[in-house]
Amino acid sequence: MSNYFVEMDNITKYFPGVKALADVKFNLKSGEVLACLGENGAGKSTLMKILTGIYSKDSGTIKVYGEVVEDMTANRARELGIAIIHQELNMCHHLTVAENIFLGRELVNGIKLDNKTMNQEARKTLDSLGIELDPTTLIGDLSVSKQQMVEIAKAISLDAKILIMDEPTSALSAAEIRELFRIIKQFRDDGVGIVYISHRMEEIDRIADRVIILRDGHYITDMLYQDTNLDEIISHMVGREIKEKFPQVECKIGEKIFEVKNLNAGRLVRDINFELFAGEIVGIAGLMGAGRTETVRAIFGVDPKVTGEIYIDSKQVTIDKPIDAIKAGLVLAPEDRRHQGLATKLSVRENVALPNLDILGGIFGTINRSKEKKMNAEAVENLKIRLPNVEVPAASLSGGNQQKVVVGKWLARDSRVVIFDEPTRGIDVAAKVEIYNLMNQLKEQGVAVLFVSSELPEVLGISDRILVMCDGKITADIKNEQVTQEQILHYATQFEDKKD
Amino acid sequence: MMMSKNSKGFLKKIVSRRGVGQVLTAGIGLIIISAVFAIINPIFGSWNNISNLLRQIAPILIIGIGQSYVLITGNIDLSIGSVVGMSCMMSATLMTRGVSPLISSLITFVACMGIGLMNGFLVARFKMPPFIATLGSMTIARGIAQLVNNNYNTDSIGENANTFRDIFYYGKTVGIYNPVWIALILWLIFNFVLSSTKSGRHLYAVGSNEEAARFSGVSTFSTIMTAYLVSAFCSMIVGLVNCATSGAGTMDSGTSYEMYAVAASVIGGVSTLGGTGILSGTVVGASIWGVLQNGLQFAGAPLAWRNIVVGVIVIISVLLDVVFRMSKKVTIQKEEKQIQ
Ligand SMILES: Nc1ncnc2c1ncn2[C@@H]1O[C@H](COP(=O)(O)OP(=O)(O)OP(=O)(O)O)[C@@H](O)[C@H]1O
Ligand SMILES: [Mg+2]
Repeated sequence: MSNYFVEMDNITKYFPGVKALADVKFNLKSGEVLACLGENGAGKSTLMKILTGIYSKDSGTIKVYGEVVEDMTANRARELGIAIIHQELNMCHHLTVAENIFLGRELVNGIKLDNKTMNQEARKTLDSLGIELDPTTLIGDLSVSKQQMVEIAKAISLDAKILIMDEPTSALSAAEIRELFRIIKQFRDDGVGIVYISHRMEEIDRIADRVIILRDGHYITDMLYQDTNLDEIISHMVGREIKEKFPQVECKIGEKIFEVKNLNAGRLVRDINFELFAGEIVGIAGLMGAGRTETVRAIFGVDPKVTGEIYIDSKQVTIDKPIDAIKAGLVLAPEDRRHQGLATKLSVRENVALPNLDILGGIFGTINRSKEKKMNAEAVENLKIRLPNVEVPAASLSGGNQQKVVVGKWLARDSRVVIFDEPTRGIDVAAKVEIYNLMNQLKEQGVAVLFVSSELPEVLGISDRILVMCDGKITADIKNEQVTQEQILHYATQFEDKKD
Repeated sequence: MMMSKNSKGFLKKIVSRRGVGQVLTAGIGLIIISAVFAIINPIFGSWNNISNLLRQIAPILIIGIGQSYVLITGNIDLSIGSVVGMSCMMSATLMTRGVSPLISSLITFVACMGIGLMNGFLVARFKMPPFIATLGSMTIARGIAQLVNNNYNTDSIGENANTFRDIFYYGKTVGIYNPVWIALILWLIFNFVLSSTKSGRHLYAVGSNEEAARFSGVSTFSTIMTAYLVSAFCSMIVGLVNCATSGAGTMDSGTSYEMYAVAASVIGGVSTLGGTGILSGTVVGASIWGVLQNGLQFAGAPLAWRNIVVGVIVIISVLLDVVFRMSKKVTIQKEEKQIQ
């Protein structure tokens, strides 16, 4: 008899050109929250997909409740009480909330679907998560954060004994995260074994009982959280110590590069006015739904503007479509990598080249291969993108490395203004520092850098100036000197009391 | 206040669901077109014509059901027309060689399901693009249709087959032609399966997001296979109808039917991208197709014009769907913002 829910030993997994896992061992007990940590591409998601039967292992053994399971499949995993929330949202947009929650295990009356009971059950689960949502709503009609909550509800409704969460919070608001953590703790106290994957260290601090660390597809160590600390964990993850989590460079503020005046674009973009100067990084803080993404989208010409003037280097520019912005020297690295950031079926090389074909042009509209190659080599080098070679499809990279490609493709050209929307979402600690360094480099080169982030420590850590948005308006434009989280939260919720 | 808002939300939900909105629009279109034809030529509205019209619609509806199943899973079946031809030629050939209609139909059934199986395997197991896979099986099935009687159309299927011809084309039950009843029964069965059973739900799920379905433990293989088998079955039935109609096997029977089936589905709101559409839509789509053919014929329009009109209608209905979806997207965004 063993007291482990899950024991995996000597797990090895190859993908074409990569050894994703090498002799990894992993175990999970009842009633614990086990944080599974590692850099992007360390193999965390792959390991969990093997445990849930989505990928098959090349070698090794899996024991669940002490019994060896030879060939794990998605259905077998579910029968064993293993539920997983995947890193990337996986929902059927044409089906309703309840239909998604019960997908693959629909309740039936004879051969007829029992929609009534399924809707009721779905509502109960949603209620227990504190989500106000009609189970008959189509998933495609929900915001991403709501979809994520449904994905969580789906996993929870399985009454699983083993619950795996692969970066569940990357799209959630603070309140939703609080709710999720409450549920996780309740499950843990009920004896469920929980695997929690995240790159947000403060979350690990809030809920981890034990941590297991992978690096480069290898098992490094596992330890009780109380016996360790975040610095030690990070050095195990990256194999070295990270001195500065938020590297700072001092620059003299230069001339005004960018200005937006009276920008209006729908309810979430109202009377936006701000300026960007050379030699500074400006962060936009705010809660989910404050209109930050909408604002940068309107600036970049993705969404139509109602009113608004944009100046680059004191010259007014008209931006109706993204191509206008790119020509004027303004680029945006968007937040949703799978839909806006990448053509996931194309190779990394083609993705990096896509927005830069104008500068890669050879004669007669051909693409200059050697320039393309050089551009790719630089992007991979600068961002330390982990891949077998640039010819692999973008979809085959780990989540964090996909994100790096998104950033990399926009940095491959010279621009005057670079806007990042959630540039570090899903990126590991070490890679975050690399992205900050890149932002600092841009700043030193005199490029105006603007970024949207939901992680306050990051906004406070690397911005020179902070814009706070609430309900479609800029509520603060403050120099980042002795600003506190509380102050920012105050501005970010300025209109909240007045609402309703 | 509360009530009206709720009921409005309810209505909106119904309409947005799986393309019900488009079925309604298409239904209104159908009524208008029929009314216009009835005014232009009173004979159009006579019982006699309606009864013939229904019989004309029936085969289109049947192959439309099959194509809708495949389209809902996000795939396409181009082999429908050839399977119709193969079924027609095979059953006719067997009957002219003295095999009883029942046995002939059974052998034909097995052969046609073979094509369905092949489509299913190629697309679901070997992950071939459905357009290419079924283009291949389309050519193969047409080849078989030509091969079975050594590249000749068959002679008459004879007196023995009179019951067969009655069942599949000429006979009436309760005043309505039998093929209409066949279409109705098939529709009832397949509509039930699609809307109310697990397999039906899985068809939508696979069409909506294959990966999500697979991650949830849905067997994408058996789901896609089911769709192709249903499609082959429906084509087989229509082949028998065609055989009964002409009383002989013709090698080009069913030519372009796969496109008619796509048209019936798409006009009725089934998306070629998968995940949406209902079989009531296919009924409306097949009816619009039939009414246009029949009505234009009565109005004296030549075949060329009939083709052009049907083509235009297909494009308009897809366009409507696109516009509808775009406006829906905008309202969602607005609502979401209001909530926030
Ligand atoms: N389907 C696939 N095909 C090919 N290679 C893959 C596939 N999935 C993962 N890999 C590779 O396996 C390695 C491990 O990837 P995995 O997604 O498990 O990393 P991860 O630890 O979850 O990273 P992240 O934190 O970025 O999500 C990576 O090198 C990745 O490129
Ligand atoms: Mg991962």
